[in-house]
Amino acid sequence: MKDCCSHKERKKNQFIGNKINIALAGNPNVGKSVIFNQLTGLSQTIGNWPGKTVEKMEGHLNFLGHNINIVDLPGIYSLSAYSLEEIVSREYIASDEVDLIINVIDATNLERNLFFTFQLLELKIPIVIAVNQMDILRKRNKDINFEMFEQIFKVPVIPVVAVHGVGVYQLLEEAIELIYEHKFNPHKKEHRKKRRTHHHHFKIKHMYPKLELNTSSRELFQFPDLSPLLSFGKEVEEKIQLLEDNIEQNIGDTEKYHYPSRFIALKLLENDREIEKLISKDIHNSEIIKTSKDYRKNLEEYHGEEISTIISSEIYQNINKIIDSILIIDTRKETKKQSITDIIDHLTTHSILGYVILALVLIGIYYFTFIIGDFLGGLVDQLYTYLSTDIDTSTVAGKILWEGAVGGFFGAVGGVLVYVIPFFLLIEILQDSGYLPRAAFLLDKFMHVLGVHGKTIITMILGFGCNVPACAGCRIMETEREKKISIALTSLIPCAATMVVVMGLVGEYLGIGFVGLLFLINFIVIIFVGRILNKTMPGECTELIMEMHEYRKPNTRVIIKQTWVRTREFVFRSLPIIILIGILLEVMYIFSVLESVNIILTPITVFCLGLPAVTGIFLIYGILRKELTFALLEVLAVSIGVGSVSLLLSPIQMFVFSLVTMLYIPCFATIIIIAKQTNWKYALQISLLEITIAIIIGSIVNWGYFLIVNF
Amino acid sequence: MDIQNRKSILNKERGSSLIKCLGECEIGDELEVIKVDAGGTATQRLATLGIVPGVKIIKSKSAPFNGPVEIIVKGTKIVLGRGLVAKIIVSCNNICMG
Ligand SMILES: Nc1nc2c(ncn2[C@@H]2O[C@H](COP(=O)(O)OP(=O)(O)O)[C@@H](O)[C@H]2O)c(=O)[nH]1
Ligand SMILES: [Mg+2]
Repeated sequence: MKDCCSHKERKKNQFIGNKINIALAGNPNVGKSVIFNQLTGLSQTIGNWPGKTVEKMEGHLNFLGHNINIVDLPGIYSLSAYSLEEIVSREYIASDEVDLIINVIDATNLERNLFFTFQLLELKIPIVIAVNQMDILRKRNKDINFEMFEQIFKVPVIPVVAVHGVGVYQLLEEAIELIYEHKFNPHKKEHRKKRRTHHHHFKIKHMYPKLELNTSSRELFQFPDLSPLLSFGKEVEEKIQLLEDNIEQNIGDTEKYHYPSRFIALKLLENDREIEKLISKDIHNSEIIKTSKDYRKNLEEYHGEEISTIISSEIYQNINKIIDSILIIDTRKETKKQSITDIIDHLTTHSILGYVILALVLIGIYYFTFIIGDFLGGLVDQLYTYLSTDIDTSTVAGKILWEGAVGGFFGAVGGVLVYVIPFFLLIEILQDSGYLPRAAFLLDKFMHVLGVHGKTIITMILGFGCNVPACAGCRIMETEREKKISIALTSLIPCAATMVVVMGLVGEYLGIGFVGLLFLINFIVIIFVGRILNKTMPGECTELIMEMHEYRKPNTRVIIKQTWVRTREFVFRSLPIIILIGILLEVMYIFSVLESVNIILTPITVFCLGLPAVTGIFLIYGILRKELTFALLEVLAVSIGVGSVSLLLSPIQMFVFSLVTMLYIPCFATIIIIAKQTNWKYALQISLLEITIAIIIGSIVNWGYFLIVNF
Repeated sequence: MDIQNRKSILNKERGSSLIKCLGECEIGDELEVIKVDAGGTATQRLATLGIVPGVKIIKSKSAPFNGPVEIIVKGTKIVLGRGLVAKIIVSCNNICMG
């Protein structure tokens, strides 16, 4: 690099503009997202991994003249091919897209977190370890010997308290240094100690040159020799060495697979299907796969355990060997008293109280979302009415633009967004506090009846607020089958918008008892659909394996930020579509297509369901936003001068109309999410199934009532 | 550790204490895992979480209606579905109360 001429110029040139890609990896619930949020602020995007239904969180920041791109990887326990999230993470970490990994570990749970670290180290990429939640560890009178930690692992290890922002920029500083120096220099001890203190000024110590990072800083990186740390017991190690030699002889450089040869050997031994697929693209590798199979059999026979058990046991043994020298326990002060979180944990998983609390939480979510949303929605409607008074909608274009586009916008804001925001807020609180796994624990047994395990109850609870994020949340399910069933069940949960209709019609005119009846029918349908899918889908229900995190005081900053990011995402993704369809419907209305739609739908609406013909088009509108079915009824009642909906529909019609609105189809935004999470075919199948169910049950109620009354 | 050695230790313990499946144990029991027989992927996932033969666990909770079981392993609480619970064989070293 040429030296800059003057001080002034140097200052100006401080922004080098080098792009660095960093990924945050670690177990679930260790604080990755908090670190991610601290670093990237609001400059985040939520997307999907290409071709996958796993969420990808990405954000940017400028730090010490570097343009840093950070990806928040999904929380995983290992780098095997067990779940889609593991596969996505592993492939991403191994690809050249990422220069460095920040491995976030939970200080209060070193053993299990280091298990993942051990696997990461096998990938031989630059890595910085962030030991998070040091505040909690220190509260328990424990500490960590960071010098020893670095000596053993030969990578930078930084103490972090993510919620207070302690140590997060140190991570980046270490990362940049590691990338440019190509190796870790542990001898700068004094300097590093200082770095661990909170009051530290970040400045560029050396002007790092503008590197050709395209040639991959990873190739230049000299990964430390960690063989004493990572080696397995004699028998396993021997087999891995043999396989590795075999791979090196036959394949040579494993660079084209992006994985180190030892990693491939280890995974082949572990019977990892993805890696097998990867290398069996070359036919002459089939010999290697066969050898690995023999070795595996050999080891399994010798140890009398499955290979995964053998390997995991040995990794845990290695971890146990070092943990005593890393973890400092102040035994004098160690106290063990029952804390408040233990009491809450006990109550919320209690065999009677637990269910009472669960019911209260569900009612609470709905009630809060409904009250706040209703209030805000009223304000938005008033604003729209106020704005509309001066608008000339007599021209066709004016009508399309105003009633279609602007009306659609206000409808989406006033009818959906006002419910979505308080809902997101509540969900974030529930999620951050750690309550949801307790619900899964209590209801796991029941959920098996529906062909899924307890985790589905989490997405179903989310569904009470809004089906859209709830269905998106179904990505946490481990298998494709589980995800599909979960999505179907979640999309049948009556969301806040549906409740507007139910409460407005049945609650208002028929009483709360009939609302209860509607709920009952809805839940019977959910059970029915679950059972059908369980029977018809190939495969069987997986068993629940879930970590029960300790309760935590929800972090306000995290909750607000998360709510904001999710809401923004919702606005950008869904609003344009809703507005477009609003315009489309307005166009159809103007050209009287809607009348014919009503007529076409007559056999269903009038004959099967016993409803007035106009409701046909209301139900079509309702696909856009469920509460529209009711809103339009009210508009109609006013415009034809009867004033009250009760004069428009008989009680049984109200009941059937609400029932059909509850069941007949997921709303449009939900259908899109379902398609994204699975595929369009499945989204349409679900929609069709729900339409059929709604028509059948609606007809049964309508004709059943008719028969009972008349005979 | 020498594998033969480990096996013999296991055998010795087998002689002196009760071998049960996890589902049969009482809440609060301190247990040692003897065998995990849950099939390929489930065994692998359990192993990842440290549930392997030889490890000490505590059965901490059990959901009503024969629901899932919560165990404490390596300081963390893990919930396991009933189907898995039946496939984890443990030995109970406690003097069981009643
Ligand atoms: N006390 C404390 N809590 C933390 C810290 N870092 C994260 N948390 C909490 O840990 C929980 C999980 O954090 P999150 O970032 O969502 O974990 P992720 O699953 O790894 O993304 C949240 O409730 C955080 O508020 C920390 O350093 N100290
Ligand atoms: Mg996260």
